[in-house]
Amino acid sequence: MTESAKPAPRWGMVVDLDRCTGCQACTTACQIENNVAPSSAETADKGRSIRWMDQLPYMEGEYPNVKMRLLPRPCMHCDHPPCIKVCPVGATTKGADGIVAQIYSRCIGCRYCTTACPYTVRYFNWYEPTWPDDLAQTLNPDVFVRPRGIVEKCTLCHHRLQNAKDKAAAERRDLAPGEYSPACADICPTQAIAFGDLDDPHGEVFSQSRSPRVFRLLEDLGTEPKVFYLREGE
Amino acid sequence: MRLFIDFLLGSAKQMLKGNRSYWGWVAFLLACIAVGLVGYASQAGSGLIVTSMRDQVSWAFYIGNFTFLVGVAAAAVVLVIPAYIYQWKPIKEIVIIGELLAVSAITMCLLLVMTDVGRPERAWHMAPWPIGRWNAPSSLLAWDALVLNLYFLLNFAIVTHLLFRAFTKRDYSHRFATPLILFSIPAAVSIHTVTAFLYNGLSARPYWNSAILAPRFLASAFCSGPAIILVVLQVLRRYANLEIKNEAIWKIAELMAYAMFLNLFLFGAEIFREYYSATEHLVFTQYVFTGVHGHDTLVPYAWASLFCSVAAFIIFLVPKTRRNFVTLNFGAFLIYCGVYIEKGIALVIPGFTPSTLGEIYEYFPSRTEVMVTIGVYGAGFLMFTLMLKVAIPIINGSFHLDSRRAAEAGIVQDAATSH
Repeated sequence: MTESAKPAPRWGMVVDLDRCTGCQACTTACQIENNVAPSSAETADKGRSIRWMDQLPYMEGEYPNVKMRLLPRPCMHCDHPPCIKVCPVGATTKGADGIVAQIYSRCIGCRYCTTACPYTVRYFNWYEPTWPDDLAQTLNPDVFVRPRGIVEKCTLCHHRLQNAKDKAAAERRDLAPGEYSPACADICPTQAIAFGDLDDPHGEVFSQSRSPRVFRLLEDLGTEPKVFYLREGE
Repeated sequence: MRLFIDFLLGSAKQMLKGNRSYWGWVAFLLACIAVGLVGYASQAGSGLIVTSMRDQVSWAFYIGNFTFLVGVAAAAVVLVIPAYIYQWKPIKEIVIIGELLAVSAITMCLLLVMTDVGRPERAWHMAPWPIGRWNAPSSLLAWDALVLNLYFLLNFAIVTHLLFRAFTKRDYSHRFATPLILFSIPAAVSIHTVTAFLYNGLSARPYWNSAILAPRFLASAFCSGPAIILVVLQVLRRYANLEIKNEAIWKIAELMAYAMFLNLFLFGAEIFREYYSATEHLVFTQYVFTGVHGHDTLVPYAWASLFCSVAAFIIFLVPKTRRNFVTLNFGAFLIYCGVYIEKGIALVIPGFTPSTLGEIYEYFPSRTEVMVTIGVYGAGFLMFTLMLKVAIPIINGSFHLDSRRAAEAGIVQDAATSH
């Protein structure tokens, strides 16, 4: 690798709620990309569906001036993640690139991380994942299928980063900006999700994450989430 | 060593001897275990989907019962402190019963944790390096697993030593037992403190993020643990020819009155802070006591718990009702119910409801959860019963090494020569 001198990038995301139409393409793209099993009507009814990139419904204002909104919500990949320190077996780690990862084969399924996470983005496998009919043959070979009884979460499509890095290394060059982005950002039809290195002053997310419209979820908890939201303009 | 094998064989024989009511009780406990096994089979077959938990309420009935039972286990110290430190004679003989209860309660705790995790076969990942990867000091759950296991071993060692020595008609070894007994006091406090910190340290859960959570845990434990012991002592006195003085029982009841006062006081302090400052974090307390947006599953339980605790406090405070065994037992029952709800579902569920992002999922235990928990209680009380079956005859002197065997082994059966 030739990136030794440069500091590791801090991958982050900016979601522009002014552009977001709530179409949920990001949720679907994420499910397909990351081998998240589709949930049945029954499991969905019981609230056990797994959606790494979920749409958080919320209401603004009081009747009759009410607005219903959907807030796309992936893992925040916090700089100070509360989930890591609580794990009794060290199954959750944060890499140099700031991505919070889950080691599926080490997780014992105690759900302490689910309890500690303020964003409810850690999903427990309450049942064995299954795919209807031939859909099992469409699984992404780059992504591990998680068994029952463990916790899983958004990886920021870490396998895409790995592939991009491998490609760059094979061509003996640095990873170029825009070469790596997660499935949710790629699919968004209104380009509401910007993705990149939060520390790269030439990148889009650098300036957007410093916009006056910016806010983050539950910032007062000191978790330093790396997913930023741009509130709708007046 | 030969003697210890004698002790074990003799103990096994003791467990198999018993009258009709003993076997009836054992059969009842075995039936409970069977119910638990049926429940667990369905959970093992389909996964934790058979519980009512979900990602928004990720801990519930199992962990609530676990928390309550850690308190019961910790409460053995209520008996240990006056018995050994102040040499308060009437309690000293019955301390063993408290410690046996602690051992059984810890076993139930560990069983409940094992039923709650999704991958119990990976529990060894929690062992220290190089076997597993014990994530201490940062994970309180890793600490809790350590202190619970230590506390189990500690009490098990103490009780085995005391009983084995009594079996061979010798006084217990002061050099071996006294340091362990003294250590068991801070250890008991620590298991409940660490369990409180397990909840306490999470910034995402304001309902638990209160500095007096650990003191409240201890106060309620010192009510619920002795409440069980009070009843057990009376049963033993009646059916097992164990001599237990009234004043020992009354003393425990008096200690419980102080503990319950402290518990209610700390609860009041919490309630004042919540309602007077009325920040957005009040919503969790409101969910328990009045319901939020029409979601009020826990409300009747919370009020029942408070009513039970206050009523029991009055019963245990007034000397007349404390010394009347009808009201005393009723009070013990009220305490048990009050603390069971307070340290069970009324502690765990509001921590998650509403969730940090404002979603409300009302939790109520599923049939499988109740069945498995019944099984765990059955297993714990069976263990407690069998151990008592050995301990009681040793304490009252009817089960001991016969003198011929003792002479062969060269044991001087005299209390004065062993130290």
